Amino acid sequence: MEQQQYDSLAAIQTASDTAALKEVRLHYLGKSGAISCLSERMRTLSKEERPAMGQLLNQWRNTFTEALEAKGKILLDQADAATFASLDATLPGTASWQGGMHPLTLLTDRIVQIFRRLGFTMAEGPDIDDEWHCFDSLNTPLDHPARQEQDTFYLPDGRLLRTHTSTVQIRAMEQAPPPLRIIAPGAAYRRDEIDATHLSQFTQMEVLCVGKGITLGDLKGTAEFFFRELFGTETECRFRPHFFPFTEPSYEIDVRSSTLSHQWLELAGCGMVDPAVFEALNKKRGDRAYDPEEISGFAFGFGLERLVMILTGISDIRMLTENDLRFLKQFAREF
Amino acid sequence: MKISLSWLHDYLKTTQTAEELAETLTRSGIEVKSITTSGATISNVIVAQILSSEQHPNADRLCVCRVDEGSGAPRQIVCGAKNYKVGDKVLLALPGAVLPGGIKIKVGKLRGVESEGMMCSAKELGLGEGAEGLYILDPEAIIGMELSTLFPADTILELEITPNRPDWLGHVGVAREAAAFGAGEFLRSSVMIPSKKREGSLAVVQDSHACSFYSLRFISNVEVKESPSWLQQRLEAIGLRSINTIVDITNYVMMEMGHPLHAFDADKIQGPLTVRFSNEGETLEGLDGKTYLLRTSDLVIADDHGPQALAGIIGGMKSRVTQHTKSLLLESAVFNPSVIRASARAHGLATDASYRFERGSHADNAWEASARGAAMTTEITGGLVSDEVMVAGGVPVPIVVSFRNNRCRDLLGISLGDEEISSLLKKMGLTLCEVGWQIPFWRLDLTREIDLIEEVARLYGLESIEARTLSFFVPSSPIDKTYDCMMLLRRRLIAAGLHEARTSALVSSEGSSSEALKLRNPIGEQQSFLRTGLISGLKEVLKHNLYQGADSIRLFEMGKVFINSSKNEEMVALALMMTGQSTPLSWRGEVSRSLDLFDLKGVLDHLVPGKISYRSSVRALLPIMARMLDVFCDGEYCGYIGLMAPAEARKITVTGQEHPIVVAELQWTPLQQAIERETWKTEKGLSKLPSITRDLAMVMDMQVSYDLLEKELQEAQEPLLKKIIPLDLFTDPYGEKIAAAKKSVTLQLTFQHEDRTLTTQEVTASCERLMARLQELLGVEMRS
Repeated sequence: MEQQQYDSLAAIQTASDTAALKEVRLHYLGKSGAISCLSERMRTLSKEERPAMGQLLNQWRNTFTEALEAKGKILLDQADAATFASLDATLPGTASWQGGMHPLTLLTDRIVQIFRRLGFTMAEGPDIDDEWHCFDSLNTPLDHPARQEQDTFYLPDGRLLRTHTSTVQIRAMEQAPPPLRIIAPGAAYRRDEIDATHLSQFTQMEVLCVGKGITLGDLKGTAEFFFRELFGTETECRFRPHFFPFTEPSYEIDVRSSTLSHQWLELAGCGMVDPAVFEALNKKRGDRAYDPEEISGFAFGFGLERLVMILTGISDIRMLTENDLRFLKQFAREF
Repeated sequence: MKISLSWLHDYLKTTQTAEELAETLTRSGIEVKSITTSGATISNVIVAQILSSEQHPNADRLCVCRVDEGSGAPRQIVCGAKNYKVGDKVLLALPGAVLPGGIKIKVGKLRGVESEGMMCSAKELGLGEGAEGLYILDPEAIIGMELSTLFPADTILELEITPNRPDWLGHVGVAREAAAFGAGEFLRSSVMIPSKKREGSLAVVQDSHACSFYSLRFISNVEVKESPSWLQQRLEAIGLRSINTIVDITNYVMMEMGHPLHAFDADKIQGPLTVRFSNEGETLEGLDGKTYLLRTSDLVIADDHGPQALAGIIGGMKSRVTQHTKSLLLESAVFNPSVIRASARAHGLATDASYRFERGSHADNAWEASARGAAMTTEITGGLVSDEVMVAGGVPVPIVVSFRNNRCRDLLGISLGDEEISSLLKKMGLTLCEVGWQIPFWRLDLTREIDLIEEVARLYGLESIEARTLSFFVPSSPIDKTYDCMMLLRRRLIAAGLHEARTSALVSSEGSSSEALKLRNPIGEQQSFLRTGLISGLKEVLKHNLYQGADSIRLFEMGKVFINSSKNEEMVALALMMTGQSTPLSWRGEVSRSLDLFDLKGVLDHLVPGKISYRSSVRALLPIMARMLDVFCDGEYCGYIGLMAPAEARKITVTGQEHPIVVAELQWTPLQQAIERETWKTEKGLSKLPSITRDLAMVMDMQVSYDLLEKELQEAQEPLLKKIIPLDLFTDPYGEKIAAAKKSVTLQLTFQHEDRTLTTQEVTASCERLMARLQELLGVEMRS
C-alpha cells in the first residue's frame, strides 16, 4: 500500500494539465479507483486489523486529496497565465463609428456659450426678407450699390435673401421694446461668384444690445471680453473708425492673438446703433419705444467662415461646403 | 485710392515715416491697404547722350555706341536695342550699378567688343513697364544727372476710402485728416485767382436739383502738348496715365482736391452749354470711343448740337481736348450723387469722376478746384484765363448742427470736459457759433448731432474709452430652446457615428421640387432655387466622398428648407444619409456586412428614444426611393426613411461600391416637441425580481410582417410579457428546411412579475396562450 500511495502522489505530480489530473483522480478516487477498492475491502478485514488499516487508508486519502487540490490549483494558475500570455495587447482598440459636428457649428456654439454668459439670448429672422428689413430700416440709401440686382439675390415677388444678419436686429426690436440683448447666428447671401474666398451663402453672427445708458464703453467691453474668451486672455483688440450706414460711430475690430497668427486680423464690424435706425423702428412700431433720446445701443457682426478658416488654417472657403470626411473627421474630437 | 507721399508733403508738414503715417491714417478710419515705393533708388545710373552708333563687327543684332556721360571721355557701350537715334538722351548704368533683380553691371566683352556699361529700358530700371527698347529721355535732360535725381523715390500708400468721406479722395483731404490726427501741420493750398462771376450767358442749368452749381472758365491761347516731367511723374506714381497738359492738369487737380474737372475744346462748342436731362434718342460718343444711347434720366452737358458730355461721368469725343486745341472751357460743377450713380450704373461706366461725384461734392470745393485748374493751365501752358467765370447755381450756406456735450458724454461713456470736446471738434475744422457748430464745406457727412459725437469718438480714440462689462439676467428665449434642442439632437447623431455636413441653400432645379422658390437673378442654374429639402445637397456630399475613396459614409445635415407657401415658408429640416459597412473594419476578421435600412432605423430610434415609430408609407414613393417608410415621432408624422433606388444610387456611386444608400428626411417641429416632453422621471422602481426569457421559433407566411406579429403579441394583454426581441429571421428559397413561401422567426420573450417571483408554469402557460393567439390570427406555427 505504501508503494501504491507513493505511485498515486507521483501520478499527481506528472499530470500536465487539468484533464490528466482528472484522470488521476478517477484512477484512485473513482468508483473502481484504488482507494475506493481498498475501502471496499476493509469490510473483509478482521475487527483487529480494521483500525490500523483504516488509519493508513485515511491518511493516504487525505494526503492524496491535498496533493490533488494543490496540483489542481497550480495547473489552473498555469492555464490562466497561459491565456493572458498569448494575448497581443498591442493590437489596436476596437473601432466604432465616430461622428462629429461641422466646424461652423462648433464655432457657432462656442460663441453662443460666451454671449450667454454675458446675458445675451438668441434671436432669429427669416432668410427671405424684404428691402425694408434689409436696407431701408438700416439707414441704407435707396440707390446704395448693395441693393443692386448685381449684388443681392431677389425673388420674383421683390423680396430678397438677406445680405446680412442685421435684419434680425430690426426684427427683434420690432417685436419687443428695450432692453434687448440678443445674438443671432444665421445665413446671409450675396451674389458673389464662388471661389477660394467667396461663397454665395455664408454665415454671420449678429450681436445687439439696446437699453438705457448703453455707451461706446459697453461695446468696447463686450467685444474685448468676447474675443479674449474666444482666442485667449492675451488677445488684443484694435478698433479702427469705419463707416456703416446703420451705426455711428462705427468701427472695424482688428484682433491679434498668439493663438491666431500674431497678425492683426480684421474680424468684425461694430458701432453704436444709428438714431435713424431707431426712428425707422419707432415709425414702424407706431410708438416711441426706441426714442434715441432715451435709449442707445450697440451692434456688432462678423462672418463665421473667415474665423473658421483662420482657426483651422484652411485657405479655400469651399472646403466648408464640400464636406470632405477627411476634413470633417478632424473635428470629431471636439465632442 | 493711391496717394503719393511726396505729393502729400506739399500739404502736410510732418516728420512721420510712411509707416507712422499709415498708423495715423488707420486711427482716423482710412484703411491703408499697402505701402509701396516707386521711382528709382539705384545709384550709378546717369543720363548719357548717344554720340555714335555702328554695327557690331561680330553680331548682326548688336550695335556699338559711343556715349557722352559728362566725364569728357566718351564710353563705348554695346547695345541690342533699336529704338534710338544718335543724339538721344538715355539712361546709362555704369559699372558698379546693381539693377532691380540683382543684375550687376561691370565692364565686359560682348562678342569680342568691350562694353563699359549698359543702356537701360524703363523696365530694367524698375520704372514701370514702359515701351520696348531704351528709355529715351526728354532732350532737356542734363547729361550726367543721377537717375535718383531725375526720378526721385516716392512712397505710395494705397488707401481704402469709406463712401461717407469724399473729402479723402484727394491728397489735400488726406493731409488735412492726418494733421488733425497729430501727424503734423496742414499747409493749406489756397490758389484763388481774381475772378468775376457772371450768371447765365454761356452756362445754363435746367434742373438745379440735378446740378446745384455749375461753373465754366474760358481760357484762351493754350498750347496742348506733353506735360512737364514733374506732372507726369506725380500722375504716373499714383497710377494715372499722362495724356497731355490739359487732361493732366484736370486729373492733377482731381487727385489733389478730390474734385473732378472737365475741359471742353471751346472752338468745338456751339452756343451756350446747358446742363439738362437727355432727350429721347440722343447719343454721345464718349472719350473711350464708345457710343452711348442716352436715357432721359441721364444728365448731360449739351450745346446747340446736342450732348457734349455725360455729366460728371465722361466727356464727349467731339469736344475733347486735342493737340490742336487753342482755347478751353474749364468746367467745375456739383452734380447730384444719385443722378450720377444711376447713369454710371446704367451705362456700366465707372470713372474717377463718377466715383467722386457719386460720393458727393461741394460748390466751395468746385469753385476752388476751378481756380486751381485755371492757375495751373496758365502756369504750364501759358493760357490766358478770362476774368469772368460763368456760373449757374450757387454756393450753399454752411450747415450748423446743434450739439449737446452731455449727450456726447453719455453715448460715448466718457467724462471729457466741454472745453476738451470743443477743442476736438475745432481740430476737425468745425467752428462754434451761437446756435451750434458750423460744418466746414468739405465735410458733407456731418449733418446730425450723432455725426459730431462720432467725430469726438474718432479723435479721442476708442483706446482712451474705458471698457465696461455689465451684464444682467435674461430668461432664455424660444430661439434659445430651439437652438439647445438642435445641439442636443446633433450630439445624439454624433454619438451614433454620423458627421454633420453643411451645404448651400441655393440649389439647381434638379435638387428642387415644384414647391420651390426660384430666384429672380441667380448667378447660374446651379444656384437658382432655394432648397426644399436636404437630400440633393447630401447626395452631392456623398458623391464627393465616394470619389475621394471613402468607404463608409454616415452623414446628417440640419438646416433651413424653403417651401413656396404662405405659412411655414422657412422650416428647419433634418436629413440623414448613410452607406458602407455596418461596422468599421477590424483585425478580428469578423465579416462586416453592408449597412442597410435597419441600421438607419437604429440611429433614428435613438434620436428621441422610445418615441420613434414607423409605418409603411401611404404616400407616393419618391422617384429616387426604392422603399419608403413613414416616420412618426410621438405619434406625429415626421418624415420618411428609405432605401435609395438602385438606379439613382448608381448615379452617385463609383464602380466597386455596392453598398445600398439609406436615407431619412425629417421635419424639425415634431422632433423638438417630443424632446421638450422628455423628462427625467423614471417609470418605476427598478425590480429586483428575476425575469424569465423564452426563445420561441415560429414559421409563418412570408407576408406576415414583423410589426403585425409584435402588435398581436402586445395586444394579447399578457401582463407578464415585458419585452419582445426578434433574434433570428430565416427563409429558404429552395424549400428544403421550410417551405419557400414561409419564413421562420425566432422571438425572445421576457416575462416578469411586478412583485413576486415567477413560476415556470406561469410562463409556459403564457407562451402557450400567445402562440395560440398568433396561430389563430396570423396562421403562425410553432417550430420545434
